[in-house]
Amino acid sequence: MSRNAVEWKQTPSFPESHYVDTRIYTEEDIFLDEQRKIFNKCWIIACHESEIPNAYDYRTFSHPGGPPLIVIRGEDMKVRTFYNICPHRGNTLLYEPVGNAKRITCIFHAWSFNATGDCIDISRGKEGYQDRFGCKDAGLREVKTELGFGGFVWVNVDDESCTLKEYIGEAMGMLDEHLDQPLEVFHYHKAIVNTNYKLWHDTNSEFYHDYMHYFNRITGMIQPGYFDRKYTGYPNGHASVGSMAIKYDAYEGSKARGVGWPGLAPGGWVLIDIFPGMTYNLRTSVLRMDTAIPLGPNKLLIEFRGLGLKSDTPEQRAERIRDHNMIWGPFGRNLHEDLLGVHGQGLAMRERTDSRWVIHGREENMTIHDEGGMRHFYAEWSRRMGRKAYDPYGEQAVAAK
Amino acid sequence: MDTRTAITELIHRSGLIMDERDFKGYLDLCAPDYQYRITAYSPEIRKDMTWLEHDKAGMKSLFENLHRHNSDKSPISRHINVCLVDIDEAAEEASVTSTIEVFRTTLDGGETELFAVGKLYDTVTLGHDGPALRSRNVRLDTRLLGYGYHIPF
Repeated sequence: MSRNAVEWKQTPSFPESHYVDTRIYTEEDIFLDEQRKIFNKCWIIACHESEIPNAYDYRTFSHPGGPPLIVIRGEDMKVRTFYNICPHRGNTLLYEPVGNAKRITCIFHAWSFNATGDCIDISRGKEGYQDRFGCKDAGLREVKTELGFGGFVWVNVDDESCTLKEYIGEAMGMLDEHLDQPLEVFHYHKAIVNTNYKLWHDTNSEFYHDYMHYFNRITGMIQPGYFDRKYTGYPNGHASVGSMAIKYDAYEGSKARGVGWPGLAPGGWVLIDIFPGMTYNLRTSVLRMDTAIPLGPNKLLIEFRGLGLKSDTPEQRAERIRDHNMIWGPFGRNLHEDLLGVHGQGLAMRERTDSRWVIHGREENMTIHDEGGMRHFYAEWSRRMGRKAYDPYGEQAVAAK
Repeated sequence: MDTRTAITELIHRSGLIMDERDFKGYLDLCAPDYQYRITAYSPEIRKDMTWLEHDKAGMKSLFENLHRHNSDKSPISRHINVCLVDIDEAAEEASVTSTIEVFRTTLDGGETELFAVGKLYDTVTLGHDGPALRSRNVRLDTRLLGYGYHIPF
């Protein structure tokens, strides 16, 4: 039976943890709050170490909390991160996504910095500042940086944050043993979609949407073991999904993967969601890493990386690339469908469309079509934000009084 | 029709026929050993990338599976301009370089947006039955393709 306006807006008949108010996806003030309380407090992946292999190699990164960053490898081969902002007049220091810079010189007034963030030259410094201000006062703003969990470069703009290891906790347990060899990024692309970052992370956090994917239905959903996969939640909002054996040759034109992954059973598939918007997706022969970089409440940039082993032979690498592209490239069978899904949510959840609730109410003993992974995420989101995901403005709490 | 004109027409026809989603018609333009690739360069990882690669059988199964997938239904329009035709009479083969712009027209209202630009690097085999596509590399300058697409350019 269809519902009238009152019924449409009625609070869902689920526990409060099993639905959210759609305004958490659309409101500017909530987004700004997320930048302050979530993105500027959490560890975020900026790039992979293989993207800056040599001394002085750098990679620019637009941090989801706001600051533009430079990740740079020093002469000592240590990776450090700095704001990509000149301390003189606030200009951008490095414009290109990658490069090699022994000396970082601002194009505006030629102030120069080294790869450890020290200011090494202020043009006509003595003449202009006399002894009031010098290089010692003009170092770059350094950001906490750690390498880990597959060689990714993690950054945290909160100087008071815990360590990366403490932040991740036990969440990477299912992948730890598979990430002990050096990895290399062979595929990179990004997409901008008019949707909220949480909706993308939601999609990575549930498998009920396998109904959308013909490839996954054929190679996974109808195969033995599919409904045995279980979600596990970890502190700080992370979650993992257990493995199963994918039957790739069930899809016409596909075939069983010849190149596997160290320690992973043939056809294996492990997925780990890291709060607030990163996903490790190891599927048989390729590790895919998604990094969500929200540009606004309804605008999302996602970086997609495909990784293989650094030790791959050309033949092994070619096979990994084929495996990746079959489902995950911009023309792949699955990724396009996933992105269409969240694009559709973004369309429907725009301001003033009268979208009201999103339901996370499926309970299947935390197996693959349970929506517990999302409930776990929103519990952490609510804790960090000091807002209830189901009642972000406290209206239900006021009404209850 | 002279050879150069026949080759130029083949390249243009390949775009028009894909715009019509006449996949069988497209495969009929291809030699049995046809190889198709979409490639791009990523400055972020400083590498050439292959984003799609199929032989003729792979293209056929891709096309045959399409109707089972959830895809963007927006029509796209491939605008191809054949620039260079280098014919090797002895090898009965030609190398062709073309520019390509792909436009996408939205389903709601028909607004058209530029989807991608790049170049086509084609090898054309010349036989008694006329020219046929032996290989195509769609070399994309555009790397930001939004939610992507299921049908090759």
